[in-house]
Amino acid sequence: MLKIEHLTKTYGEKKAVDDLNLHIAPGEIYGFIGHNGAGKTTTLRSVVGIAQFDRGEILINGKSVKTEPLACKREIAYIPDNPDLYDYMTGIKYLNFIADVFRVSAADRQTRIRKYAGLFELTADLAQPIAAYSHGMKQKLAIISAWLHQPKLIIMDEPFVGLDPKASHLLKAMMREVCDAGGAIFFSTHVLEVAEKLCDKVAIIKGGKLIRSGTMEDVKGDDSLEEVFLELEGGSC
Amino acid sequence: MLKLLLKKQLTEIFRNYFYDPKKNRVRSRAGTIGYILLFVILMVGILGGMFTALCLTLCAPLSAAGMDWLYFALMGLLAILLGTFGSVFNTFSSLYLARDNDLMLSLPVPVNALMASRLLTVYLMGVMYSIVVILPAVVVYWITVAASAGAIFGCLLLMLLISVFILTLSCALGWVVAKISLKLKNKSFITVIASLAFFGGYYFFYFKAQALIRDLLANAAGYAAKIKGTAYPLYLFGKVGIGDGAAMLIVSAVVFALFAVVWVLISRSFLKIATSSGKTEKRVYKEKTTKPKSISGALLRKEFRRFLSSPVYMLNCGLGTLLLPIAGAALVWKGGTIISVLNGVFGARAGCTPLILCAIICVLASMNDMATPSVSLEGKTFWLAQSLPVTPWQVLRAKLTMQLLLTGAPVLICFVCLPLIYPYTTPEMLVTVFVLLSYVLFSALFDLFLGLKTANLTWTNETTPIKQSVGAVFAMLSGFAYTILLCVGFMLLGGWKLGFTGYMALFGGVTLALCALLRLWLRKKGCNRFASL
Repeated sequence: MLKIEHLTKTYGEKKAVDDLNLHIAPGEIYGFIGHNGAGKTTTLRSVVGIAQFDRGEILINGKSVKTEPLACKREIAYIPDNPDLYDYMTGIKYLNFIADVFRVSAADRQTRIRKYAGLFELTADLAQPIAAYSHGMKQKLAIISAWLHQPKLIIMDEPFVGLDPKASHLLKAMMREVCDAGGAIFFSTHVLEVAEKLCDKVAIIKGGKLIRSGTMEDVKGDDSLEEVFLELEGGSC
Repeated sequence: MLKLLLKKQLTEIFRNYFYDPKKNRVRSRAGTIGYILLFVILMVGILGGMFTALCLTLCAPLSAAGMDWLYFALMGLLAILLGTFGSVFNTFSSLYLARDNDLMLSLPVPVNALMASRLLTVYLMGVMYSIVVILPAVVVYWITVAASAGAIFGCLLLMLLISVFILTLSCALGWVVAKISLKLKNKSFITVIASLAFFGGYYFFYFKAQALIRDLLANAAGYAAKIKGTAYPLYLFGKVGIGDGAAMLIVSAVVFALFAVVWVLISRSFLKIATSSGKTEKRVYKEKTTKPKSISGALLRKEFRRFLSSPVYMLNCGLGTLLLPIAGAALVWKGGTIISVLNGVFGARAGCTPLILCAIICVLASMNDMATPSVSLEGKTFWLAQSLPVTPWQVLRAKLTMQLLLTGAPVLICFVCLPLIYPYTTPEMLVTVFVLLSYVLFSALFDLFLGLKTANLTWTNETTPIKQSVGAVFAMLSGFAYTILLCVGFMLLGGWKLGFTGYMALFGGVTLALCALLRLWLRKKGCNRFASL
């Protein structure tokens, strides 16, 4: 589904991501953890085509992000760490805009908006301008818009930040649903308990370099993910 | 604290002069100096030049008649009008709608310090617009009349008082707009309508003032006596410029007292207004089937929504859309008078009258430059344009199309009024519409080019990309430059030898060739630049 090979991205003198390799297969929820500034967001932004990378290759279902960016973008959805959406639109107009861009039929968009807005209890607020939304409501809208075109791969940067417990629970279920249907999820998080319970595989990045990856069992063994993470980071609480 | 806030505010205003967003690094010293010089030359050279000519007309005769004060009163009033006009629309958004208001109010920052730093932007805008009137007035006076110690001190004080008075007026009007805005539901449109009413009043007064100036020169002594009798403050205001001690004291006291009153007024309500979301109607969503649109259609609608959501954007970048049909109606209404005036001035050379009519439409069309700030206005939502399955060109084309539609249609409305007032031949009609439409295309392409070249995605107040960017100034001036070139080429550079039809066909052809070059740049380099912003 997603192949990241020898990804290297430099900002000035600093290597934000250094020769990173990751393979994410269909059906996997892949967690991406690391301290602040480790290179998680840069990696995710490179995958979705926002950040141009210096070396390496990113393939989505065999298509290169560099040479076939549009084909790749049609198959993915991205939710950034801060959901800055078009404030001047109402929620429903934003969803219709995204549906238009992804060419979702009228019937499909109506069904999906009804379903996901209902699940997140956002239906009544869809006629409100996004400017009037709270952070959590914007995050919910970003999630609904990401699910609107039924992407095969969903990339999320800290998706649980700002969500209430019910919405977090719902999102986890939706993530599993995507993977059960043959899709894949690649997301970053600082909440190690969530990563431990939710992810099939996990990758730990430090200073732009991948320091450990694999199935949850391979990575943590008998310890907790938190213990492994702190040990690899070389720090203690 | 205030120093810190002022530094932050100044950094935001002048960021593009010191920072190159393309290279993502600080500009070289030479680059910064060059950038600033260019801006100063444009402001001083073009706007300042116009007012210098006016000062040269007024200064010597009024001074010779012993009415130096009238000269300063007139130029001071013009400076106040232009300065207030330039900064009034800025006050509301700068003071109350800054994106970092919440952050700043959560910090241990005194409200007065925050207000002062915000008002610095308004003050600088007022100074920028008023200085192009009052500085030439002062310099012309020093050169042609006297540069005595009293005159130098009086003139410097007059410039200061004018800038403070403009700030006071802008603050008071901004406060009124804010209070009204809190009670309104459809704020954007009502703000635009109210602002347009202000524009109308301003232009009405401005044109009356022009006529008054001419009349004043003819009957200066009579009017001076009337002003002394009925508008004594204006007399005192003018006397400041010539260094009259009593006038300087009284006017300074009044101006600073007025500012203090307005300061107290806005500081008492600042927190309430800045933290209020105003009256918003809670609309409940009712499900309905939406007809899918094409990607281009969706992007174009997005651009229109952005444009219509912001009064600042509409007023600063879309005034031509409104003025062009009004101009068309004015042409039909007053066509006979306009044509006879133009024929009287340019009648000796064939083709000048239709050329000037075409130039007027071009000038009005140049008031539309929505494509320039549209790139920067993506701001923090830029990740959407980059991560969605749309090409940079599709996004850019939507911005371009919006300007073409909002300018092209009103230009055509204005154009169809032309044959009602002037006896065009068919070839003349064809070349006129050819030049007009090629200019509409050129200005949209050039404005987008400027928008990409001067893109700044990190603003905290939307007036920064809309009004205060180098791109916005260049966009406005490029339209004037094009029109001047159109007229100068025909009248002074031998274009008339080709005849009106030949010259216009050539000019339109050259414009189209430039359009082709600009489009090529936008398709290749422009798209790359957009993708890597």
